Amino acid sequence: MEDFEFLRNVTIGQYFAGDSIVHRIDPRTKITVLMILAIVNGFITSYTGNAIIMAICTVYVIVSGISLWFILSGVKPALPIIIIYSLMQLLFFGEAYAPYGLATKVYFEWGIVTISNGSLQLVVVTLLRFLEILFLASLLTATTTTTDIAHGVEGMLKPFQRIGVPAHEISLIGTIALRFVPIFAEQLEIIMKAQASRGADFGGGGIFQFVKTTRQMVTLIVPLFVDAFRRAEDLILAMEARCYVGGKGRTHMSRFRMLSADYIIMGANLVFAVLILVFRNAFPV
Amino acid sequence: MNDARQARPIIQVNDLHHVYLRGTPLETVALKGVTIEICAGESVGIIGRTGAGKSTIVQHFNGLIRPRQAGKVIIDGQDMSDPSVKVKAIREKIGLVFQHPEQQLFERLVGDDIAFGPKKLGLLREERRERVMWEMEMVGLDFERFKDRFTFSLSGGEMRKVAIAGVLALHPKVLILDESTTGVDPRGRKDLLARLLDLHQHQGITLIFVSPNMEEVASMVDRVYVVDDGRTVMSGPTREIFNRPEELRQYGLGVPQVTTVAHRLRERGLPISRIPLTVAEAEEDIWKILNS
Repeated sequence: MEDFEFLRNVTIGQYFAGDSIVHRIDPRTKITVLMILAIVNGFITSYTGNAIIMAICTVYVIVSGISLWFILSGVKPALPIIIIYSLMQLLFFGEAYAPYGLATKVYFEWGIVTISNGSLQLVVVTLLRFLEILFLASLLTATTTTTDIAHGVEGMLKPFQRIGVPAHEISLIGTIALRFVPIFAEQLEIIMKAQASRGADFGGGGIFQFVKTTRQMVTLIVPLFVDAFRRAEDLILAMEARCYVGGKGRTHMSRFRMLSADYIIMGANLVFAVLILVFRNAFPV
Repeated sequence: MNDARQARPIIQVNDLHHVYLRGTPLETVALKGVTIEICAGESVGIIGRTGAGKSTIVQHFNGLIRPRQAGKVIIDGQDMSDPSVKVKAIREKIGLVFQHPEQQLFERLVGDDIAFGPKKLGLLREERRERVMWEMEMVGLDFERFKDRFTFSLSGGEMRKVAIAGVLALHPKVLILDESTTGVDPRGRKDLLARLLDLHQHQGITLIFVSPNMEEVASMVDRVYVVDDGRTVMSGPTREIFNRPEELRQYGLGVPQVTTVAHRLRERGLPISRIPLTVAEAEEDIWKILNS
């Protein structure tokens, strides 16, 4: 049965009001912690290490009060690609990758298909890393309004303004991009319904009928782009009509102050990151 | 009553409920009990304030939303909750035009865009051409002059006509207009409405009309359903509904201006027998009273 509810699938960028500690801490703290954990995520390749990070991310989500299932449901549209990717890596990576400090072990071999402990670990760890990043990114946008994120980014970029980094403009672009994700999802839904109403059928082509699927997409992408440009122009006009000038000399209604709790959270995450990075090769698997 | 027996209900909705994004934190209840019956050849209006659930209702009519929760939707004899129903065949019978339909255009040339639906039906080139010609005439676009124009170079009103022609090209039995005339200039709107009314009266197409503009509703339809907070709260012949302005006001709706004027005149003692729905009707009535 067809389902046109796209907002169901857009989990990143959706804000949920709440009063948890994750909601209340300073956006700069949240962004810093996200960056710290993302960097750690990029270095840790062991099962144990990723299990620890995954556990931490899950705890953060639970503390925030955001539904774990809701964040996980954001994976759904990407699922076919993830599965194909994982299978490719699992079957054809062979012995090219060996986990640190372990001898290569081949579990299964048949023709060009080779499953080794290396390829298995690569698949599992890649999936875990993907989920960790999804959790963190969803958590940031689910507990922080886009304006808060923008102010946070702007505040963090301020020191670099001296060497010519346009802090305000960068944060503005980011905010607009995030703000438009749910709008375009909704617009896509309307366009899809309109095209279906005049005879188009979506899906049903099967995953392997690329040409057919692509052709169906044209009926959606062209109107969506037209709409995006129209909205962008409207936004420009609206901003100019109100004499918008960003950056210098502008004051904000809400000001952020870093509290001791913010420093404690940041410090704790930093200590964790350093520890796990230093001892990353000490895990048995 | 004889009429009702002859006419076959093409759309039957019974105690329909719908919840958007069910099971997610963004869950919203849209419909809480809607009952509507529309017969072939009728013209029916659905009115209600913003967020009352009008769009959700009409999207059930052509299978964009299927009744999965409580309630029944039967379209042309087929129960829409049955997953084996061929939705495409339903959409061929029930044409739905959205608000701002010009946003659905995608082909480079006007003719190609209108031919999209017929092409999907698998019609041959000649038949498609014929349909495009016919539909363009129906909405008031000159075939020779417009068929090779660039879609995105048209004016807003022309784009809207192209979009409506694109839906009509499927030759639906029922045409639903979901606030499709908002944002068109008054003359273009009048022209479009006249053509749609003509389609209804001469081609026998069933018209379902959703509009926030009471004047439009009054001039277009025979029967009205009033929807408020996801429920059908009033239904009846147009004149009867607009004869109850106090009740309508309670649901955040008004009546056509000319109807208000007639109500006021009646309050002041002018013997107006029927409540006029259009300016022409009011003129006729007032002349009658002045002459007697």
